[in-house]
Amino acid sequence: MYPSDLKYTKNHEFIKPLGDGTAVVGITSYAQEALGDVVFVDLPEVGTKFDAGDEFGTVESVKTVSEIFMPSSGEVLAVNEDLEAHPEFVNEDAFGKGWMVKIKLAGALSGDLLDADAYTKLVSEESH
Amino acid sequence: MTEPLKKTPLFDWHKAHGANIVEFGDYLMPVWYASARNEHLQVVSQAGLFDTSHMATIRMFGKDAYDVLQWCFTRNLDSCVGKDNAPLADGKCVYGVFLDEHGNAIDDSLVYKIKDGEFMVEVNASMGGPVAKHLAEQAKGRDVTIIDLTDKLGKIDIQGPASIKIMAKILKNPEAVFEKLPYFSAKGHFDPASTLAGQVQLLDGTPILVSRSGYTGEVGFELFVERAQTVKLWETIMAAGEAFGLTACGLAARDSLRAGAVLPLSHQDIGHWTYIHHPWPFALPFTADGRGFTKAFLGSAALEKASDAPYTLTFVGNDLRKVDAHDARVYLDGKEIGTVLTCVTDMAIGRHEGRIYSIASPDKPAGLAIKGLSCGFIRVGSKLAPGTAVEIRDGKRAIQVVIETDVRPARTARKALKTFM
Repeated sequence: MYPSDLKYTKNHEFIKPLGDGTAVVGITSYAQEALGDVVFVDLPEVGTKFDAGDEFGTVESVKTVSEIFMPSSGEVLAVNEDLEAHPEFVNEDAFGKGWMVKIKLAGALSGDLLDADAYTKLVSEESH
Repeated sequence: MTEPLKKTPLFDWHKAHGANIVEFGDYLMPVWYASARNEHLQVVSQAGLFDTSHMATIRMFGKDAYDVLQWCFTRNLDSCVGKDNAPLADGKCVYGVFLDEHGNAIDDSLVYKIKDGEFMVEVNASMGGPVAKHLAEQAKGRDVTIIDLTDKLGKIDIQGPASIKIMAKILKNPEAVFEKLPYFSAKGHFDPASTLAGQVQLLDGTPILVSRSGYTGEVGFELFVERAQTVKLWETIMAAGEAFGLTACGLAARDSLRAGAVLPLSHQDIGHWTYIHHPWPFALPFTADGRGFTKAFLGSAALEKASDAPYTLTFVGNDLRKVDAHDARVYLDGKEIGTVLTCVTDMAIGRHEGRIYSIASPDKPAGLAIKGLSCGFIRVGSKLAPGTAVEIRDGKRAIQVVIETDVRPARTARKALKTFM
């Protein structure tokens, strides 16, 4: 159910390495489901550098405002500007048109990331 | 030892229809189904259906029931109906508060006069027991019988402009039911033994009590029915509402709709502080000059003496961003002046050149993109004039908001029912 080409955090972000030293980051389908309607996404400036685990923005839903954390160190190359007018893209397609930032990876992926199987297990434990 | 959480008769329906379930007081309740945002917008534009069976109903009988309520309730039952301050007549209901001797709010309530010697008191979830006990203490030695019907009834609210057409499809003689049913009035009875039970019936003869009221600011009804009939009533309305865009709504939409309608949530916006300076002065029996009360009642002496009571004020933000009310503070010119009681987003409104418009505003500028505005209530030490800008801040963010007297314009609750037929 969770794509195997993505890696995941315990905080429910995903990172999708594109194979050219860059990666796309967002929140998982499980996270958007738990948050409910996403109504506002606050994203960083292009060029900002983050370490793995740094807060890089917030996602506001009808329920709450949640911080989002960078899965792996890198520099922001692009942000998904469509989310300003269409925050609901995060609900509709979290892994696709609901992506949040594209980063240039600083070195290898963080060793703390979960693969799809481990993330599936985490989610099934949390939802029970 | 903690009691297990309670379920309303509709719990299985909510689960089967994809509701996200949360703990709300002692109850497991739907917070939203597919989308709280759409549920909110649907109530403003069409109609929504709410399970409110967690609320509690108290019946009061006896020749002294009126006197006991007149002492315990903040409204003057001799002069509370309409512009002419008419007495609470049969089939009328009125919003007010039960205070303790310190002038603090125990709970807010709708009090219905069913007929001479029979009243109905609708209070919040888990408050049936405490309010019934409070009334019984105040009624000692009087001719009053108080019956707490907590978890014995079903209650369903249908709200929004399409409510009338939907109800017309499921009632016997809907024209007669809607005739002379102004805002804050009721007809029929949930109790088959009542002489009023014939007044309002479903097509199969099930008696219900229909109240022209609600908690969204939009036109609609609160429906009371015997508990065993709750699921049937809900499913009958959902089926009839399909053609009118009716959607099931959870507590999130209920919360954002009521804040947009400037209605308090008991135990959050009113509670254990002096109930005197707030956006609901109509709930107190002020004299015409506003300097005193038209009756003495439990708590009135404390209200008259109150000198340092806090002020509860309504605010509206400049965009849809909100703060977490539980840990947010209010700042004026950088100085902390109070706390945030409620902060939610009314998704149906937006600002344009300083004015608030609703998706339902007939005069909204063409092309205005309405994305929602944060709104709610703050409690501060002194009065702030409407238009005053303050900052509210939680651990994550600070937002600028403006003190206002009203939130969502073009609400429909008070419009004549015939407008919607």
